[in-house]
Amino acid sequence: MKKKYALYPGCLMPTEQYAYELSIRESLPLLDIELVDIDGFSCCGEPMKSVNRLLTLYLSARNLALAEKHKLDLFIPCAMCHLALSECRHILGNNPEMKKRINGMLASEELTYKGTGEIVHTVDLLHDLVGVETIKQRVKKPMKGIKLATHYGCHLIRPTEIGRPVDSEHPMKMEAILEALEAETVDYPEKLDCCGGILQINLPESALTKTGQKLKAVQEHGFDGFVDVCPWCHKMFDSRQSKAGETVAAKLDVPVFYLTQLLGLALGVKKEKLGLELNLSPVDKLEFG
Amino acid sequence: MSIVDLTSMGKSQTELRKEINGQLSKLQDEISDYCFQCAKCTAGCEAHKLLELEPHKMVALLKRGLIDEMVNSDIIWTCMSCFKCRERCPQRVAPVEILFALKNMAVVSGKQIPGKYTAMLQSILSIGLIQDVQEVTTRDNKTMKRDELGLPSLSKPCDPAKFQVGLTKIAVEKV
Ligand code: SF4
Ligand code: SF4
Repeated sequence: MKKKYALYPGCLMPTEQYAYELSIRESLPLLDIELVDIDGFSCCGEPMKSVNRLLTLYLSARNLALAEKHKLDLFIPCAMCHLALSECRHILGNNPEMKKRINGMLASEELTYKGTGEIVHTVDLLHDLVGVETIKQRVKKPMKGIKLATHYGCHLIRPTEIGRPVDSEHPMKMEAILEALEAETVDYPEKLDCCGGILQINLPESALTKTGQKLKAVQEHGFDGFVDVCPWCHKMFDSRQSKAGETVAAKLDVPVFYLTQLLGLALGVKKEKLGLELNLSPVDKLEFG
Repeated sequence: MSIVDLTSMGKSQTELRKEINGQLSKLQDEISDYCFQCAKCTAGCEAHKLLELEPHKMVALLKRGLIDEMVNSDIIWTCMSCFKCRERCPQRVAPVEILFALKNMAVVSGKQIPGKYTAMLQSILSIGLIQDVQEVTTRDNKTMKRDELGLPSLSKPCDPAKFQVGLTKIAVEKV
């Protein structure tokens, strides 16, 4: 069954985390997902929640309203954006007064938030909508003998109260997807630890320490690679890995991938099309057929 | 529309401050009472070991009305918004939301906003996104831009003036 989504890029993915976007655009159509580009999206507002929560709510509602205007459901690859838009739906769904107020503000751009559209993230799109069986059937290059650690990202798994696509204490959907690619996954004690990404804004050293601590543990557990599904997390674990290593006095060399890069490889997409040259961690350590 | 409207003590901020103050009083009166200081929030807090944030103590301080003290403290800016405290609190207190309200109060009271928040806000006001397209480096040190990778043009607000009008209302809108 073909399904159509508007791709909501957010800020970080389309301005620097190109590997995620490239691998999404290459691999999802192979699973009968049609992605539509809409002009006019803005920041989801989540990075601004510490500055002004109303601004967050407004920006999220604005993006949801824009998708509604195009009568499209939203595919949101960033965990942080997905949280902001989920929470907006939750708040405006339960608070008609706030909905009215936000809609009053949205009128300046001729937008109205109704709450009719659906939203999905990479993980539930692949696991719940496409399904692991379909993925299994389409795998051309299985990832046999590769042991991977997963990282979901705090914003994807909590808070349950507003509705999240995976379980907060025992998330397993990425594992199921990776196993459909015939890779091996193993749980590890630090699996739910934060990447520190948000602190990059005001306490960058501490942010890197969080990243370093988690990657060091992953390295010591002997994983072949580390898989994430959020541009903020990936920026920390991949783009800033060597700096993160300095904060914990470790020489880190953990290959870090976006889930969609591995998916693309397994589906037979050429390496060059998945932005793998943009990963700054040593992804060449892994040989893919 | 300038950054001042959203962050400073300007006249338009009176309503916003009242509103955030109202949120904090509500949290103090209705929510902090549920907390029985079990410290489950602090046990899992991502900022606890590294930066000494103790969410259960923040709730205790709120209960005692020591709001200004917290608003003026750097500790509120150490939260990583991992939402573990909200997820795991047996009393549904959500210290992380209290911290957001306190930080919002600090901003609207004209306190210095730490780090890159101001630059990000400025960027949102002008192009709708926290940053514009960046040049990136490949593993073998080539520089690349979005269009060179064959990606379509960036989605951002089509009419920046209208977009800004919407944002301005945040600073002046009445509750
Ligand atoms: S977990 Fe909840 S009840 Fe326990 S100390 Fe923290 S805020 Fe209070
Ligand atoms: S959201 Fe903030 S206060 Fe709550 S557990 Fe995470 S870092 Fe600690």
